[in-house]
Amino acid sequence: MGEVIVITSGKGGVGKTTTTANLGTGLAQMGKSVVLIDTDIGLRNLDVVMGLENRIVYNLVDVIEGSCRINQALIKDKRNPSLYLLPSAQTKDKTAVSPEQMSKLAEELKEKFDYILMDCPAGIEQGFKNAIAGATRALVVTTPEVSAIRDADRIIGLLDAAEIERTDLIVNRLRADMVKREEMMSSDDVVEVLGINLIGVVPDDENIVISTNKGEPLVGSDTLAGKAYMNICRRMLGEEVPMLDLYRKDGFMSKLVSKFKKKELK
Amino acid sequence: MKEPVNIKGTKSGIILVLDPDMPLEDLKEAVKQKFTSARKFFGNALVALTFEGRKLTDDEKFSLAGVVSDNSDLNVVCITEENAEKEKFLEKALNDKLADLSSNTGKFYKGTLRNGQVVDFETSIIILGDVNAGAQVVSKGSIIVLGALYGNAFAGAGGSKHVFVAALNMNPTQIRIGDSIARASDSDAKSQKDTGPMIAFFENGNIYVEPINREALNDIHLD
Repeated sequence: MGEVIVITSGKGGVGKTTTTANLGTGLAQMGKSVVLIDTDIGLRNLDVVMGLENRIVYNLVDVIEGSCRINQALIKDKRNPSLYLLPSAQTKDKTAVSPEQMSKLAEELKEKFDYILMDCPAGIEQGFKNAIAGATRALVVTTPEVSAIRDADRIIGLLDAAEIERTDLIVNRLRADMVKREEMMSSDDVVEVLGINLIGVVPDDENIVISTNKGEPLVGSDTLAGKAYMNICRRMLGEEVPMLDLYRKDGFMSKLVSKFKKKELK
Repeated sequence: MKEPVNIKGTKSGIILVLDPDMPLEDLKEAVKQKFTSARKFFGNALVALTFEGRKLTDDEKFSLAGVVSDNSDLNVVCITEENAEKEKFLEKALNDKLADLSSNTGKFYKGTLRNGQVVDFETSIIILGDVNAGAQVVSKGSIIVLGALYGNAFAGAGGSKHVFVAALNMNPTQIRIGDSIARASDSDAKSQKDTGPMIAFFENGNIYVEPINREALNDIHLD
């Protein structure tokens, strides 16, 4: 039996979709069968981030309405044969689907997949209710900003009320240099406010922008964000993985080497 | 008491169930009354008409169809026979007729279609603007975009393959012609460089996209 996990945040733009794409890809790389469901009806993005937009024929609403079979709507990933995407509809709105229908769909997919990741829309309305309907576990994404943390706090309350069994926190877009100068909250500060288990910290990394635009998740690659996402995947599977040291001071030699590398690239 | 005329709607047309014994003139009067009273309800759709419950000659069918179109805003595009696979048959007859119409007529649409917008036309369509990624143009005929095509274009939505998709800048996410689908290649999915005028058409089981020149235009068959 698979596990249904919703990735949510309350606030928009904190990295739910990027996180969904990377965790799904990471889990698939570790040999799990995974399906990603974009529940943001009307503002779909996950297909673009996965680079699968041009393959869409049927979508979530078609499946719910019974105009196609689930298998017809599932899009196989370009690189990982055990990873699938169920894209959202772009021309409908959130009311096209009900929480009951979503949880029925999740039940069906549980039979076939190890992990079902629901990419939740921003907000706490119908779209949110749809996304959490079938889930037993949640990952709350926030950035170390007061506004995002407020919204995350609200979301955690709603997830508790909906009796989600387990809720973990991902702090996204952390900038170690700013934390050091005490201009940004650290992940510890965020955990202190929200009081739930921290499952990972993802640094602010320009490689994310590059990978999102390319439509190729960077999990597992030799970038800080890529490593951070891979670590979250391993923790999701129950492994004990130490947190990445984002505050490591570069030695004189490594600074020199990195400068040298940059020059070479130019 | 059984009514002399019953109207049944199907996906693509209307079935008139007629009293088998009533004199034809009385029947016409009954049809007239039915359609006059429900004029608003039926609107001005394009429909296929079928008769049931009574043997009619071709002349009688035509005169009854005349009564229908005189007393309603409906456009009767064809009269079909009663058939075991009526539903399918009606739809096909209507689509054939529409495909015929759509290849001969067209409409203009002015404006840029943005993410999430869909326009659906029975005829061919000329878009004066761009079709952005996430937008969709559907036509039973051909599609011409006087601008950039980044989104989805579905030509020949009624099943016809003798249609084409043309754009001044061709960077579509997907093109469908009839029931064939072509998608953008993954490598250049994100590079939106100006391709210049291109045309997509169906030939030998494939969708081809070529720059518009004399050679490409020679390959276009409209019937």
